[in-house]
Amino acid sequence: MDFDDTWHPATHPSGAVLPAVLALAETLPSRPSGLDLLLAFNIGIEVQGRLMRFSTEAYNIPERFHPPSVVGVMGSAAASAKLLGLSPTQCTHALAIAASSAGAPLANAATQTKPLHIGNAACRGLEAAQLAQIGLEGNPAILDCGFGVYYKDYSPSKFVDSSSSGFKWILEDQNVAVKSIPAHLGMHWVVDAALAARRKLEKTAANFDLCQIRHITLRVPPSKYINCPLPDTEHQARHSFQFNACSALLDNKVTVDSFSEAQLKRPALRELLSKVTLETPEDNHPSFDKMYCDIEIETHQGVVTAKCDTFYGHWRKPLSHKDLVDKFSVNASSVLSTEGVEGVIDVIDNIEKVGECSILNAYLTMTSTPHQQLYRKRNI
Amino acid sequence: MLRKGITESFGAAVHSLSTAQLTDGVITRSKRMIMDTLGVGLIGTRTDVFKKALKHSQLFTSEERSSVWGKSDLTLPPQFAAFVNGIAVHSMDFDDTWHPATHPSGAVLPAVLALAETLPSRPSGLDLLLAFNIGIEVQGRLMRFSTEAYNIPERFHPPSVVGVMGSAAASAKLLGLSPTQCTHALAIAASSAGAPLANAATQTKPLHIGNAACRGLEAAQLAQIGLEGNPAILDCGFGVYYKDYSPSKFVDSSSSGFKWILEDQNVAVKSIPAHLGMHWVVDAALAARRKLEKTAANFDLCQIRHITLRVPPSKYINCPLPDTEHQARHSFQFNACSALLDNKVTVDSFSEAQLKRPALRELLSKVTLETPEDNHPSFDKMYCDIEIETHQGVVTAKCDTFYGHWRKPLSHKDLVDKFSVNASSVLSTEGVEGVIDVIDNIEKVGECSILNAYLTMTSTPHQQLYRKRNI
Repeated sequence: MDFDDTWHPATHPSGAVLPAVLALAETLPSRPSGLDLLLAFNIGIEVQGRLMRFSTEAYNIPERFHPPSVVGVMGSAAASAKLLGLSPTQCTHALAIAASSAGAPLANAATQTKPLHIGNAACRGLEAAQLAQIGLEGNPAILDCGFGVYYKDYSPSKFVDSSSSGFKWILEDQNVAVKSIPAHLGMHWVVDAALAARRKLEKTAANFDLCQIRHITLRVPPSKYINCPLPDTEHQARHSFQFNACSALLDNKVTVDSFSEAQLKRPALRELLSKVTLETPEDNHPSFDKMYCDIEIETHQGVVTAKCDTFYGHWRKPLSHKDLVDKFSVNASSVLSTEGVEGVIDVIDNIEKVGECSILNAYLTMTSTPHQQLYRKRNI
Repeated sequence: MLRKGITESFGAAVHSLSTAQLTDGVITRSKRMIMDTLGVGLIGTRTDVFKKALKHSQLFTSEERSSVWGKSDLTLPPQFAAFVNGIAVHSMDFDDTWHPATHPSGAVLPAVLALAETLPSRPSGLDLLLAFNIGIEVQGRLMRFSTEAYNIPERFHPPSVVGVMGSAAASAKLLGLSPTQCTHALAIAASSAGAPLANAATQTKPLHIGNAACRGLEAAQLAQIGLEGNPAILDCGFGVYYKDYSPSKFVDSSSSGFKWILEDQNVAVKSIPAHLGMHWVVDAALAARRKLEKTAANFDLCQIRHITLRVPPSKYINCPLPDTEHQARHSFQFNACSALLDNKVTVDSFSEAQLKRPALRELLSKVTLETPEDNHPSFDKMYCDIEIETHQGVVTAKCDTFYGHWRKPLSHKDLVDKFSVNASSVLSTEGVEGVIDVIDNIEKVGECSILNAYLTMTSTPHQQLYRKRNI
């Protein structure tokens, strides 16, 4: 649902790593602890962060390869290799083998195949580590040069200080963004700005009606694959500046339910979409660290504008702990029982002290019954 | 993104191409490819990389099972059978090579054979031939969208780019997918394309073919259950794998005058389990050695002072001192010296023992590589010049076109001999002859899966030993 975390430089780091380490941990006789899981997970994140820093191209919204398919599989291989306890040489070869599974075209973003990029990354990174474990070898210098095929510019450097006590994880300096909307990160600026503009419209006009809107101008960074004037599918809608702005204006919110086919086809929404123009000002840099969204709404009465530099959930304005847990609870409750939801929260809150991280799986599979689901839906 | 209907035309073509459009020419050529691919795959099952892939694949079970070539006692889920058999095919760098450059058959044949075994429709030999040729044709068309593809690759390993697309197309055909599903099979497969060439000359390289076969098959299966990708993937997005990319529609697929690329452009079949470029070098080196033997009464290799090889520029096949079999298969220098030392280069030339021979290392130290400007890094245009300086003077030889190249194809007898020698390393005589017979007559075979019965008719260790002693 494009609802997972986003980092800078741009990728979705966790989805490529967590499923691999959890799946692997369940099978290991060594029964990894919560701390073992945390370490493997962070190694998988760190490796991705380091690889992206080898290229200036990585710092912008991607255009050619979908980043999780490039660095995600490497992170998964690294994390899996760690959990498997591979030797340094085997870890090197795990990365080399994983590299041969890297690189899916961004052109499959905004389609049903995009989620497979993360699934494949997790799966194939794990596989690479398993193959390295039984002695398969690749190019032990793969990152020195060959990995550069995925980038226009590529300038790798060594991983130093990993055994020093002063070792600094990239994650300490650069946090992730957590999404409130199941859509491409760029949509969050647009929705923020649209909601702010809507609030202004409601204040200025006594009986504000959306049909009073003559024209909507969105000023956003240039990015082909998130510029979709008339989305036909949920996947396209999640990658459409225009759709998210109009949804926000129409419903005063954008949620999980906003992307269904029924919602997409609403005449009122299509009407509003026909009034949208996109502009890409030169100072609006296609980078999740620098972009902004400006919205300008023209009505019979005049013009209202709003701007969003940093949405709530961005690394500059992280979700509060309460809001993060709330997001988790709402999401998890759609399939897990209350016991399951609370169990997961409890285990993760205390994961450093957990003896066997696989306890998590017990809660992750505690589904609620259809009856309970129905009851829960009625009470929302 | 401007949609030009190119991907959809590919989907439509995969769907509509029929056995009626298979010509004698394309049938003859593709049968040769199938035979060669099976032979190199069979001998490839003895390699370390195959054994590791097999060990890994045996972790998985499924209800559907497909044959593993050269193994009478086990089966694998179809995509893993495609994976390991594909790895076997490319494990020794002994499989066919096309122009523009890729190894077309290894990415397709393992997938269609594995899939055919599981289908209730029980495809015929002609169905197999058609699916196979569709897989080849799609690869050929994709490579023609880029001028970069015409040269020896430098960035991505071609089988990992177009091979998975060919496998997806061939599998989609066998599964009988609709035009739209065929289009989506290609779109899904594209997300599994693209491995770095930097893993060539390593044990991971054969996985590029194994993965291509496996993931193309998977893409078709996912499309069959309705998964969708970008139906315009070839119109633009696929171009990320190339420096220049100019796609065009697949037209005329329903016309009776349809021309397969294979009819105009044949493959090269290797006589040496090494990168194609090595074949020019070995040819030239053997010719030079013959000259040396004629000119000097008692010719001794230690009389060689210096060897100069003039070859096209290509980083990953320039390896002055290879340490592993994989490096040796990608070393102009090693292949030239092996040829000079042993007067032949065979399957046995690449073992660790052979690599480490002092006489060979000695000879290697005397080699210089030059890359003349007129020596174009293309399998269609390259040549190899060898110049050997001895105490008595200088001897030179040149190879433009080695025996087995598409300009000088192997005779039918030599192709079958190569297959027999390879297949006999794991199959019984009955198996070897059975495969030859089925392929020779594949257009008339009712159920192509009969092939698998022979492909798994292994000989006993005793028989293997007896056979080895008699060679």
